[in-house]
Parts: sequence; structure tokens; C-alpha cells
Amino acid sequence: MTFYPAALQELIEEFQEVADKRERLEMVFELADEVMILPADQWSDDTRIRGCQSEAHVLIAVDEGLVHMVGAADAKLVQGLMGVLSIAIEGLTPAQAVLIPVDFAEDMGLLNSLTPSRSNGFRNMYDKVMDEIRTSME
Amino acid sequence: MSLREQFPILQRKVNGHPLVYLDNAATTQKPQVVLDAMNAYYSESNANVHRAVHTLAGEATEGYESCRTKLKERFNASRVIITSGTTEAINLVAHAWGRANLEKGDAIILTEMEHHSDIVPWQMLAEERGIELRYVPVTQQFTLDMEAFAHALDGAKLVCVVHTSNVLGVRNPLEDIISASHAVGAKVLIDAAQGVPHSTVDFTSFGADFMAFSAHKMCGPTGIGALLVQPDVFEEMQPFMGGGDMIETVTVEGSTYQTNEHKFEAGTPRIAEAIGWSAALDWMDSFDLDAEHARLVGIASWVSGELRAMGMTVYGRHDEDDAAVVSFLHPTINSEDMAHLLDARGYAVRTGHHCAQPLLTRLGISGTVRASFYVYNTREEAEGLVRELKEIVEKFA
Repeated sequence: MTFYPAALQELIEEFQEVADKRERLEMVFELADEVMILPADQWSDDTRIRGCQSEAHVLIAVDEGLVHMVGAADAKLVQGLMGVLSIAIEGLTPAQAVLIPVDFAEDMGLLNSLTPSRSNGFRNMYDKVMDEIRTSME
Repeated sequence: MSLREQFPILQRKVNGHPLVYLDNAATTQKPQVVLDAMNAYYSESNANVHRAVHTLAGEATEGYESCRTKLKERFNASRVIITSGTTEAINLVAHAWGRANLEKGDAIILTEMEHHSDIVPWQMLAEERGIELRYVPVTQQFTLDMEAFAHALDGAKLVCVVHTSNVLGVRNPLEDIISASHAVGAKVLIDAAQGVPHSTVDFTSFGADFMAFSAHKMCGPTGIGALLVQPDVFEEMQPFMGGGDMIETVTVEGSTYQTNEHKFEAGTPRIAEAIGWSAALDWMDSFDLDAEHARLVGIASWVSGELRAMGMTVYGRHDEDDAAVVSFLHPTINSEDMAHLLDARGYAVRTGHHCAQPLLTRLGISGTVRASFYVYNTREEAEGLVRELKEIVEKFA
């Protein structure tokens, strides 16, 4: 069984109670505000999430041994999932954060396919966040 | 059975709602007769083609070649090379004709409206051979700048132009382009992937030297397409891929090649797909394509008007010869979000750059939402799309 941090597990269960996908999308759109916003003047090639259909940026910092995430995306779904990941990651060490599996978006009933592809902005965002956390551990 | 009822996939639900499939410019759905034909081949006649004398091999060969015969009849073409699709067909022209007939300093004309599959092969050849590429701009009215085209023609050896834009649905003035190109001795390649699903073309009188298209955009299987070539130009093509089926004799000293289309079809071909396409071509003859096209352009035009009234920008004009494609953007709602919200109600639309980045760059955008209609789509589905979009705009704008 997949292990999720408690805050993420709670969110997943909340989403699983909603049968209508449109409603679940609206719920995740509302979580777009949960990620600390990376201002546009700090966007660069280093922060850009490649392969996204629209503009999306993310930056990971490790402060006093804990992971912090800032980001922004044109697509509310991608930024909403950044919000979900922020809630999940907040307060975790890098070693704990990299254990969060990619499946949460599927378990929340938001995305069907988590295969990396040019059209999967969420997967590209998740991969970049995890790569940056792993880099911080080196 | 109605035309629509012949498509089993259209009976399914997506996210609890009836599927409304509006991504036909990417690929079309397949009628039962196509599925049955492919299944029957694998169930009853599976064998390799052009080789053995046994019964199954004969049936497979007949099935495969019947596709070519039907394409020759439908398009009045004497040379039909079976490829994996439009992309391979264009790459085949670049390798088999381009390498044999173009050299350093020659010029190829492309347009900003091309799909990447009609840009990248030429960029690769240009880099390899020192060939100049000239791009015809697209105007703000979504048409090719024909004055710029006329200016670019001087010294051109090849003109590559898309029949109908996969983003705008705009059908280009191909007859004018072909005659002007031929007047200066340039060959013409038409990327007809979006064109032939909506209209039949008499390739011989049309006069283009090459025409490429795919089966899967006209209710046939994926993985198969065709390159039509005028007979005199066919003789100017050199083999590209070597292997079985394309040779006449092979000795340790060297090989001689087939003289017909098989010369460009090395290896075991797409037999089941050809048989499926053959069934699709027969099926396409079971209704009036021109009448269907007029109906669909009418729907696309109506949808465009409704979207504009909602404050959206629509990229296209929907003239009678254009495709039933509606590309649009809302000023504040992200296109990816829009597509997810529509998917949640069963509507399949496409978002992104549609493999036409130079065109989108010219239009000053990075992508659109695209709804594209085909013969099984109904006015009620279009009305449903408009209703859903109104709800999305009211809630999320």
C-alpha cells in the first residue's frame, strides 16, 4: 500500500468522497493558492518545468533541514497540484519528501495517466520537484 | 443502422458522461467494418505478402494490394506508395527525391502554416546539403501571404505546402500555388493529412507532384498512410530504405531494385492496417462526403460565432472549403484547465501547439483549445459543447 504523509492522505480521502470529476477539479483549483507563489520576475530556465503545455515554474529550497517549495503555473490544475504537493512536503526532510509517490493525483481522481509525456504538466512538475530535492541531498 | 451507430466507441461514457469526441483533427474513430476487416485478416488470412504461393499468402497479398488499388481509384493516381503515415511519406520525399535532386544553394519553400512533419525533415535536409529554406508568412486573416509566396518562388526547386491547416482549418489556394510553382520549374508537395478526409482530390488533374496523407484521419487504422507521386517524378526517386520486398535481385556484388512502388516499401508492410484502410475507403463511399463536409463546416461556423460572443478569440475563418476545426482561446481561462473541465463532462478536445509552433508564434500565442468535427458528430454535440463552455466561462472567468 502506498504511504502518504498525513496531510496528503487527508486530502486524498476528501477528494475520494466527491463523485463528480468536475467538482474534484474545482476543489484542486482552489488549492492553487496553497503553494507559495514564485513571482514572475524570478522565473528562469532553471525554474521552468519543461514539456508543460503552458508556463509553469517551481523552485525547491531546503532550510534548516526541511523542504520548502515555491511555484507558479498558468494552468490552475498544475498550480493546484503544486499546492497539494506543498501541503504534503511542508515540514518534511528531503529524505522523507522523496518518498511521496506520484500516484496521489490519480488517487485524488484528477488525472488518469501519470506517464511522462509532453502533455502531462503534472508529471513533469512532480519529476522536477523530486529531482531538485534529490539534488539537495547530494 | 445510422452512420453514428456504426462506431462502437461512441457508445461509451467518459467520467460518467456520454463521450463527445471532438479531437478528429488528431485522429478519427473507426467504424465496425474497419475493426471487423482487421480482425478477419488476423483470424483467417494472416500471412506475409508478395512471397509465398500458399492460399493465405495470396489472400494477404490481395488484401494489402486492394488498398493501393482503391487509393489509385479514389485519387486517380498512378503511383501510390504505402507508408506509415503522412510523416513518413514526407520524409520519404526528402530522402528519396530530395537527396537525389537537390544540392547546395537550392531553395525549398515552406509555409509558416506547416505541421512540424513538413518542416523538420526539410530542416534536416537543408542542414545536410546546404539548402536554403524560405517560409511563406501567414497573415492576420489566417491565410498565406501569396505576395510573399510569389516573391519567394524565384529559384525554388520544391514547394511544400499544407492542404488544410490542422490549427486553423484554412484550406490553402493550392491550385494557384501549384501552377505558379510549376511555372518556375519547382516541384510541389502537398501535406493533405487534414485535406483528404474532407474532400476527394483528383491527383492527376490537381497536378501536385507529391501528396501525403494518413489513414487514421479518415476512419482508417493508425500506422498507415500514403504518398501519391506523379509518374515522371516517381522515376526521379532513388530507394531510401533497403531490405526485403524492394529488391529484384541481390548478389554479394550488389542489388537491383523493383521498379514499381515496392521499391519504397522495404520489409514486411502494414498488412492488417492496409486491409483496415481498404475497408474504411469502401465505407467512405457509403455516404455523400461533400454534403457531410458542408454540414460540419456549418456546425464549426456556428460554434465559432457562439465562442466569439462569449469573449473568446477564434483562430480561423470557416469558408466552405475549410475544415470543421475550431481553435480558440479564452482571455483568462487557461486552455489546459479548459480541456480538463470539458473532459470531466465527456468532451474530448485537444490543447497545446498542435505540432505547428511556427504558426502559433506568428499568431503570438503558445497554444489553443481545438475542437474538430467529423462525420459522426452531431449538431446536438456542438450545442452541448457551447453549453459546457458557457458554464465554464461563467464559473471560472
